[in-house]
Amino acid sequence: MKAKNKKRYIIALIVAVIGLVLTACTYFATNIYSRDDVAVITDNVIKDRLIEKDKDVYNNVDQTREQTLHLKVLSGKYKGRTFTTKNVYYPSQMVSQKYRARQRIFVNIKKGDPAIVNPKRDWVLVLALTVTIALMIAIVGRHSFALIISMALSWLIFYLVIVLDVHMNGAHIILLFSLADIIFSFFGLLIDQGFNKKMLATWLATLLGVFISFGLCYLVMQLTGESEMKYETGDYATQDPRGIFLAQTLLGILGAVMDESTDIISSLYELVQTRKDITVNQLIKSGRTMGQEIMGPLINVLVLIFISGALPMTIIYLRDNNSLGSAFGFTLSLGATQSVISAIGIVLTVIFATGCSLLFLKNKKWKWGKKE
Amino acid sequence: MSTLTALIIVLAILMTIVGGETGIRSFFSVLINTMLLILVAILISWGISIPILILIFIPLKLVTIIFLGTHDYTVAKNSFYAAFLVCLIVSVLILGCQWLAQAAGMGPEAGEVLVGLSQMPGLSYPMIAVAVAIFSSLGAIAEAAVAMSSGLLEIKKHNPNISRMNLIASGNRIGRDVLGTAMNTILFGMFGSFLSLFLWYFRLNYSMGEVLNEKLFVNEALIIMYSLIGVLLTVPLSTIFLSRGMNKNEVKDGSK
Repeated sequence: MKAKNKKRYIIALIVAVIGLVLTACTYFATNIYSRDDVAVITDNVIKDRLIEKDKDVYNNVDQTREQTLHLKVLSGKYKGRTFTTKNVYYPSQMVSQKYRARQRIFVNIKKGDPAIVNPKRDWVLVLALTVTIALMIAIVGRHSFALIISMALSWLIFYLVIVLDVHMNGAHIILLFSLADIIFSFFGLLIDQGFNKKMLATWLATLLGVFISFGLCYLVMQLTGESEMKYETGDYATQDPRGIFLAQTLLGILGAVMDESTDIISSLYELVQTRKDITVNQLIKSGRTMGQEIMGPLINVLVLIFISGALPMTIIYLRDNNSLGSAFGFTLSLGATQSVISAIGIVLTVIFATGCSLLFLKNKKWKWGKKE
Repeated sequence: MSTLTALIIVLAILMTIVGGETGIRSFFSVLINTMLLILVAILISWGISIPILILIFIPLKLVTIIFLGTHDYTVAKNSFYAAFLVCLIVSVLILGCQWLAQAAGMGPEAGEVLVGLSQMPGLSYPMIAVAVAIFSSLGAIAEAAVAMSSGLLEIKKHNPNISRMNLIASGNRIGRDVLGTAMNTILFGMFGSFLSLFLWYFRLNYSMGEVLNEKLFVNEALIIMYSLIGVLLTVPLSTIFLSRGMNKNEVKDGSK
């Protein structure tokens, strides 16, 4: 056991070193970007000048500042040339960006005039990914391989679904994302648990949980005539916002329901393993207890994800003297509705997961009976 | 009746039927948790120091999620200690990464949405981004802590004489499942939250390099990883807390 753990830590260390090398490679990479050129800020101390102190109609006090930046271009047509440019920013950095000395950035040079696009951020992603994977290997061991594959596969399927949706121009979006849910959950559970009874029971519980709760919520939405559903407030709408909202709901609900089914079914499985004489009633009671314990925290996970994302916008609405009610309507109501629909799915899944694990316990018993 | 109200009523009824008393308490935990989040937004918009608000609201939210959501005091206590410690560690990590990534503020569509709104609010958006990241991952950490503790206690209940070594082995097994699927909750929660953004990138023909350096994408991807790191740290910590607490109880029983 100890030798195994030691090997695990060594592998984690190796992964960490490789990851850091990759982080450095990404940091120094210049020629892999198609659209913008990479440049580096050559100043050691950036000249930062206060232009004016501002006070807007809402009495918000802020400043306008201007940085003078010396750039050296590292890729593309203008490689090796230096430019001097100015960057205006507000210290609150809501829509503007402050740059740092020696930083690598993207510039778009048109007719010898550089426009700063973005700081280079991709290496931070590689760094964070390195920490995550190294930690995963150190704590979970060999199994993390499956987790990483499963995550990569989810991103791939997600990408394909988006390609398909854009190709179909948003038509049949509910059907498309329902199918996506079936595929996502099948492969996710397959990689996580392998193809066996436990996995099939979990898959069944997941699908029942997602579709029955979505159907129920859709019914409620129809009955109430979707009143006060402000689809138009959805951000980045490039197609029918109502369709996007329903698709988002179908996706958001899936992970939580899968999580819960797996938690309940795998814990009940452990229970059957450690105590072989357990009765059906005890199992139902245990399942319900577990469900009750997990239900609340799990709903909170989604509420926090769906609502935290809207906080920056909510804060600016409130800052500008909007009433709480109108700020809620504009920035939070869709996220809140999505949270409630997911919550209904999570509650219903307690029933389905316990029911499905019962099925699989009976099979197990039957097998033992045959062996003896 | 508005759709949101109707759905909330349906949820309350279902939680009462399935969850009984615990279900009702969970319902209020979710309600209070949501209100706390809105309260944070209000307080930040008043200009109150964001780091202080974060430090006050982390334990407050953990208490709401864990103690109101679970009915077993031992589960709740263990989960709270483990989750609180993990949240503090992850907060330090978030501060570091957000400083490096500079991914605060509004996304590429900001110009359209912000018409008529102040663009110079006099608030520190980098700090707000830190707060958003911490509160987004806090839920996953609390959930993992509760799933770990309640799974372990359930085994302990049905098998009271289990040894510490066996309990740790069971903990590792449950931890693996909890992690594998916490990953799904986080990942799909994020997919579900940002589908429209991804469609936007695709429709506007963003290149791979652009997407990977774009503010909002980097922010979302980082939040997924903070949450995963949080959940990862929770697995060994809650097993350690629980088996320690249990040993103390055994000693007490022995002395009686």
